[in-house]
Amino acid sequence: MSSADPEHREEEEAPAVGDDEDTGAHVAPIVKLEEVAVTTGEEDEDAILDLKSKLYRFDKDGNQWKERGAGTVKFLKHKATGKVRLLMRQSKTLKICANHLILPTMSVQEHAGNEKSCVWHARDFADGELKDELFCIRFPSIENCKSFMETFQEVAESQKAEDEKESADAAGLIEKLSVEEKADAEKKDEEKSEDKTVEKESASGKESKAVEDKKAEEPASSA
Amino acid sequence: MALPNQQTVDYPSFKLVIVGDGGTGKTTFVKRHLTGEFEKKYEPTIGVEVHPLDFFTNCGKIRFYCWDTAGQEKFGGLRDGYYIHGQCAIIMFDVTARLTYKNVPTWHRDLCRVCENIPIVLCGNKVDVKNRQVKAKQVTFHRKKNLQYYEISAKSNYNFEKPFLYLARKLAGDANLHFVESPALAPPEVQIDLAAQQQHEAELLAAASQPLPDDDDDQFE
Repeated sequence: MSSADPEHREEEEAPAVGDDEDTGAHVAPIVKLEEVAVTTGEEDEDAILDLKSKLYRFDKDGNQWKERGAGTVKFLKHKATGKVRLLMRQSKTLKICANHLILPTMSVQEHAGNEKSCVWHARDFADGELKDELFCIRFPSIENCKSFMETFQEVAESQKAEDEKESADAAGLIEKLSVEEKADAEKKDEEKSEDKTVEKESASGKESKAVEDKKAEEPASSA
Repeated sequence: MALPNQQTVDYPSFKLVIVGDGGTGKTTFVKRHLTGEFEKKYEPTIGVEVHPLDFFTNCGKIRFYCWDTAGQEKFGGLRDGYYIHGQCAIIMFDVTARLTYKNVPTWHRDLCRVCENIPIVLCGNKVDVKNRQVKAKQVTFHRKKNLQYYEISAKSNYNFEKPFLYLARKLAGDANLHFVESPALAPPEVQIDLAAQQQHEAELLAAASQPLPDDDDDQFE
C-alpha cells in the first residue's frame, strides 16, 4: 500500500497537459527578429482544385514508394499566362512537397493496389532545381481521387488546346504577311500600267479615246 | 555565432541538440522533417549526425542545425562533447517503453551540465501506438525542471511541428511567431523528350504496382 501511494499521489497531482501551456523556463532570447512580408509565390494564381492528400515519391534505388508529405494539393492557374501548376504543401510546416507545371504530354493513371491513389511522372521543382520524379498521391476518399484525376486530365488537355491555339495564331500571322506581299506586287503592276497610258495619250488623241474605254471596263472586271 | 564546420547562412541559425535513449525515434523524427519519409527500420546512430533544417516564419527564414546524437551508450562517441554551444534541445522518450522515460532525468542532467539556461522540449514519441506504457498524466518531469512537454508521433505527424515552433519562439522572444508558406517559385519550362517520356511511362507502370508504405494506415490528419 505504501509503495502504491506515491505513484497514486503523483497521478493526482499532474493536471491534464494543456496544449499551449508554457511550462518552460524563462530564457533570454538570443536573436531579434522583425516581422517581414510573406510571399507565398501564389499571388498571381487562382486555385482550381484544393484537396487534402498524402504524397509519395518512388525511390528507384530501393524500388519502393517513400512518403514525401501529408497536406494539401492544389492546381493553380496563372491569371496572365493561363498556365497551370500542381503545388503541394505539407501541413503545419507549410513546406513544399511538389511544384511542377501540368504539361500537354502528361497523364495520370491509377495505382494498381489502391483505388484512392494515382501515379504520374513530373519534372519537379520543389527543391528549387528540376528533378525527374515518379509521384503517387493518396486521398481520403475515392471521390477525391477521381476529382483529382479528372481535373489533371482536363488541365493537360486544355494546355494542349492552348499550345495548338498558339501554333494556329502563328500560322495565321504568316498567311496575313504573304497576302500583304501579294497586294504590294499588284499595286506596282498598276503603277507600270499607268505610265504606259500617259505615253500613249501624248502620242495620239484617237488612241487615247480607245484606252479610256478599256480603262472604264477594268473596274467592272476587277469587281 | 557560426560554429566550427558549419556553413554560414545569411539568416538566423541555431544549434539544436537532440538526446534520449536509443530507439525512441530521434532520427526518425528528424528524417520526417527533412524528407517527409517515415523510417521504420531501426539503425542506431553512431556518434552524431548533423542535419540543417529550415523553416519559414512570419519573421523570415530560420535554420536549426539538428545534432541527432547516439542514444545507445556504446555508440556515444564524444557523448556530451556534442552538446557544446547547444542553443536549444529536445529530450526524446518513447511512451511505449517506460524505461526511456525513467532515463529522462539523466539526459537532462548531462545536458544541463554543458548547456546552461537553454530552452528544452521534452517529447513523448509514438503516441499513435495503442498500448502505451507511459500515460500523459504520468509525465511530470517537465514541470519540476521547467521544460516544455509535447506528446508527438513521428509516424502520424501528430504535433510534429510543435517542438520546433516552441523553440523558435523562445529563441526569438516572440510568442506570436508562426510558420508561413515557403515561397513557391514558378517552375521553369521544360523541353519534352519523347524517348525519355516513353521510359518514364514504363517506369511508372512498374512503380504503380508497388505497394504504398502505409497502405494499411488510412488515417488523414
